[in-house]
Amino acid sequence: MEISPVYMPRASIIAAGFVLAGLVGLGAYFFPLFRTAASATPSSGTVAGAVSDTISNLNPIDVAPSQPFTVLLLGSDDDSKFPADRLNTQSMILLRVDPGSKQATMLSIPRDLWVPIPNQGMGKISTAYQLGGPQGAIAAVESNFKVHIDDYVWIGLNGLVKFIDHLGGVDVVVTNPVMDDFYPSDLSSTGNPYDYYRVAVLPGATHLDGVHALQYVRSRHGDLRSDFARSERQQQILLAIKAQATHLNVADLPTLAAAFNGEVKTSIRLDRLRQLFSIAGSFGGSNIHRVVLLAPYTSEGSAAGQDVVLPDWSAILPLVHQTFS
Amino acid sequence: MTLAVAIFAFGVGIYNAAGFLKAGKSHVVRPNQVRAPSVPGTLYVAQAGAIYRFRNGTFTQITTESGWTQPAVSSDGSELAVVRRYENWSDLYLMTPSGHLTALLTHDHSPQMESNHWVFYPRFSPDGRTLFYDFDPKDPFNSYRVDLAIFASPSDPSSHESVQWTNPNYYTGGDVYPSPLAGGGLIYTKYSIDDQSQVHPQVWLQSRPGSTGFALTDPALDCGQAALSSDQKLVAMVCTKGQTQSTELNVAAFDPTTLTLSTPSTLVTGELVASPVFSPDGKSIAYLAPATPGGMFQLWTVKSTGTPAPRELTSLLGLDSTSPPVWTAG
Repeated sequence: MEISPVYMPRASIIAAGFVLAGLVGLGAYFFPLFRTAASATPSSGTVAGAVSDTISNLNPIDVAPSQPFTVLLLGSDDDSKFPADRLNTQSMILLRVDPGSKQATMLSIPRDLWVPIPNQGMGKISTAYQLGGPQGAIAAVESNFKVHIDDYVWIGLNGLVKFIDHLGGVDVVVTNPVMDDFYPSDLSSTGNPYDYYRVAVLPGATHLDGVHALQYVRSRHGDLRSDFARSERQQQILLAIKAQATHLNVADLPTLAAAFNGEVKTSIRLDRLRQLFSIAGSFGGSNIHRVVLLAPYTSEGSAAGQDVVLPDWSAILPLVHQTFS
Repeated sequence: MTLAVAIFAFGVGIYNAAGFLKAGKSHVVRPNQVRAPSVPGTLYVAQAGAIYRFRNGTFTQITTESGWTQPAVSSDGSELAVVRRYENWSDLYLMTPSGHLTALLTHDHSPQMESNHWVFYPRFSPDGRTLFYDFDPKDPFNSYRVDLAIFASPSDPSSHESVQWTNPNYYTGGDVYPSPLAGGGLIYTKYSIDDQSQVHPQVWLQSRPGSTGFALTDPALDCGQAALSSDQKLVAMVCTKGQTQSTELNVAAFDPTTLTLSTPSTLVTGELVASPVFSPDGKSIAYLAPATPGGMFQLWTVKSTGTPAPRELTSLLGLDSTSPPVWTAG
């Protein structure tokens, strides 16, 4: 039996050509996103460098995040002074979000908090990430603060700068002049990372680009409250970022992914991240509670020849239980 | 061939169309590229390191974009004192209202990093004979402490005298925003940190250099950036009341005899107000604030009585909100 060839009508071929061209165009646009996700963890498809598959105790945020969830936000100095696999966390913030009640709480954990670190012994909690990566940091926080962490986000210095610049900067009220004559000059990959320069962030309502926002959250030498002041400013910048991020949409993700290029790691998957952006706008300033573990929750002290922050767990745990359970 | 080009162009179009879906960043232009509703007199503002003069609805750039900020005008309007900010220091210059430099008043640069100095917030005294400004005196016992203090010098550039007026609370960042009084005193913003580690700006008054002074506002109001009307009977100030993402523009009557402020009334709320300044007749206030959350700072005016509603004069600028506008009659 002779089979006669089937010819597509010319119009269908042309239409298919346009569809194919459109798909190629979309593919090219979102290519940075696919590339970053693929190079990080092929199976999870996270924004950048996620390792959620390797952290067994995480409970990734549900598709429809209607239930309360807790995210551990981590920030590190990742300049050339530090080997990439030996980073401390300069910033550690527990974020509890309750989409139902539209309440959120940010709890800053002092970087020098002296705690038992699982499988490592006593140490500053900032070293948990250095010793065990995200899993180590999560384990240290979960075991000491008796909370369950659903996801984490880690960001490096340039990651924060690029993120804020991508947002077009942030608006904040600088609470007081932030003066620092010994601010590290370590953002550039060239030059001496031990150099420093002078910072003067003037007070009042202002618009900060990434570099100046980083100066605001990172400077500590000229403030009576040292690291605690930094913690408060970090929370303030997070609120400003939240306000700006509500303008983002899925079309921004490729540029973000390309810009971060390893400067952000998270266990939050792309679809979850998009949903988080969508609910961010429903949280107002008065519904976001900010906690910094000052006295009487902590006190200054020394241990193992280091200046540390000593926790009073009898005060801290009821506070955490009330907010994070 | 034409069809192939069309298909290719369609694909490129889809790529670009996807990009258009991205959240739009603020589009900022130079002030001299726009016109704005005119206001009586002349305003000076700063953007991206340049000073602009705003008169008859038109902005004129009077300096290059090279670190210029915080202009102040002498009482007769004949000269401006302007800060030029570099990476690690800043200097104070005198210039004509058209931007011609006439004198360098400070020499704050040092080859040794921590020996550099900052100078900010110049203000002429009402009689024009004294220039007040912020300066960072060094603590010989602790190089980490950098607190701004308010100094005063004769406005004559040939003079090299200076007097430290204020003694800031340690490790607060210091005293800022001087507003000299006609009677010889000084209003400024002083910061303190309470037992709960909260920072409180307060509008403070000192009658003479080195005196302790006293607060004109309650610490719980968190008020600063005080500006005096030309008759010195009104004070406009920015208060946050503990908020870190919003501010209020408040106005209070100032009694120069009893040195007291009346209970403030709120003119603007729910915005991110910065750097208010009175019009020469005291009937209006210019201030800087974004038009949308997260936006760049624009120039606004509001009547000192609060009504009608504030008027946004610009919409595409990215004004330096730490540089208070200057409003003169000329």
